[in-house]
Amino acid sequence: MTAHSGITTGSTGGVESTLTDASATQELGRRLAQVLRAGDLVILTGDLGAGKTTLTQGIGEGLGVRGRVASPTFIIAREHARTGSGPGLIHVDAYRLGSIAEVDALDLDSSMAESVTVVEWGAGLVEGLAQDRLEIELERPRGVGEGSGTDVAEAAAADQPRRVILRGVGERWAGVDLPV
Amino acid sequence: MRVQAARRAGVGLVVMAAAHDHPPLVLGIETSCDETGIALVRGQELLTDVTASSMDEHSRFGGIVPEVASRAHLEAFGPTLSAAVERAGVGLGDIDAVAVTSGPGLVGSLTVGVAAAKSLALALGVPLYGVNHILGHVAVDVLVDGPFPEEFLGLVVSGGHSSLLHVRDIATDVVELGQTLDDAAGEAFDKVGRLLGLPYPGGPHVDKLAQQGDPAAFAFPRGLSRPKDMAAHAYDFSFSGLKTAVARVVEGFTDRGEEVPAADVAASFSEAVADVLVTKTLAACERHDVGCVVIGGGFSANSRLRELAAQRFGEAGIDVRIPPIRYCTDNGAMIAALGSAVVAAGLPASEFDITIDSQMPLTRVLATA
Repeated sequence: MTAHSGITTGSTGGVESTLTDASATQELGRRLAQVLRAGDLVILTGDLGAGKTTLTQGIGEGLGVRGRVASPTFIIAREHARTGSGPGLIHVDAYRLGSIAEVDALDLDSSMAESVTVVEWGAGLVEGLAQDRLEIELERPRGVGEGSGTDVAEAAAADQPRRVILRGVGERWAGVDLPV
Repeated sequence: MRVQAARRAGVGLVVMAAAHDHPPLVLGIETSCDETGIALVRGQELLTDVTASSMDEHSRFGGIVPEVASRAHLEAFGPTLSAAVERAGVGLGDIDAVAVTSGPGLVGSLTVGVAAAKSLALALGVPLYGVNHILGHVAVDVLVDGPFPEEFLGLVVSGGHSSLLHVRDIATDVVELGQTLDDAAGEAFDKVGRLLGLPYPGGPHVDKLAQQGDPAAFAFPRGLSRPKDMAAHAYDFSFSGLKTAVARVVEGFTDRGEEVPAADVAASFSEAVADVLVTKTLAACERHDVGCVVIGGGFSANSRLRELAAQRFGEAGIDVRIPPIRYCTDNGAMIAALGSAVVAAGLPASEFDITIDSQMPLTRVLATA
């Protein structure tokens, strides 16, 4: 385990930081792409609007994959082919999937071994897809406090900071310095 | 079965069309999502359009399940084809060309339609055209509202897509002006339906609830509408921030133990979506000096979008064409209409080794191998 930059590794603990706005979330994704390799499984957890797709947009950009990374909700899984020598990206929204068998039944063209697989709403469901995994929790502010009407809606629309926790689980992540 | 050499793939329909006195009969096959749609179009005339939906099977999952959809297409294909041919009063042998959605859409669902289309085209000895689903949502309007003007804007809004197109010829000249950077319009409705505890699909339920609420109760954000966004994303859409704002307002009420004013939230949210769609399309009309807008895709069933479009495009003297709802949701007529336009434009038929393309770009009307 490396001593510098604080943090990391193994199956416990994790690194935590604050993302000031959507562009900071994307920037974290771009930096994560530098440590991600083909075969990696990333599981994203967080409420509607926490920034899961935004983070994945950054990962896609960092990996340099083909196509625009947008919400995969409607089609459940979207595949982005690699453009260079790096891995491709498989972006999944598992919200409506009931079991890991349904993930297998998605008829994905590309194999997980050649891609980074990012699964939104995948906690408690898709851990068995790979031996190791990177778990990322995103937390946005809840509610908007007192009041009603226009003021409340404006407060709710403000791009406020998110808290993010990254936790590597398994051998793959032992000793890896996770960006924060 | 009758097979003519001139009808092989790769040979256009020009020769054949000349041999007949009427335009070629095009079979359209649509299986990109959960509807199995098959239709017959001659020129710009719709002969028949039959749709089978697996929506009931999906509603218990709270959304489309790809595996369920693929299987449903397999089961529905034969009966839907038979019904279409019978209702049109034609025989399979009368079909001059087969058009099929080759993307974008669900991999398994697309595969069923494309495999069936290849088999039919080969068996009948007619050309095959693998066409773009999104462009079909625009092309279908010609069957309802007659020939298109020289140029127009197409706004395609559904559960999976939100795109603004500048169209000079639906088969040969389409420019994408913008699209959603995150959630599609219909998808945002499904997610807000989820937040408000409404059944799937959320779109129609939120729409119905919204009609009882105050659209000015909450000033929800209009995505990518600030001056700094307009520079790079004038005609792109974003509904993710809006969705988050709705989530936080709803949480605010529940966390305080108060009842959520669901109708007001639904109405204000609907207003934000319709407003940004119409405002950006109107701006594009002015920028490109275009006097006609065609709106298609399942979300064009939304009542507030229809109202606001009629009102604001009307005020601006812009003609709005929105097909009836049955031609806005996925259907075979849209693919037959686009196939017919592609044939009329004299584009070469697709090869028989075309593959499906789940993310087929709008710049491509026809599939490639």
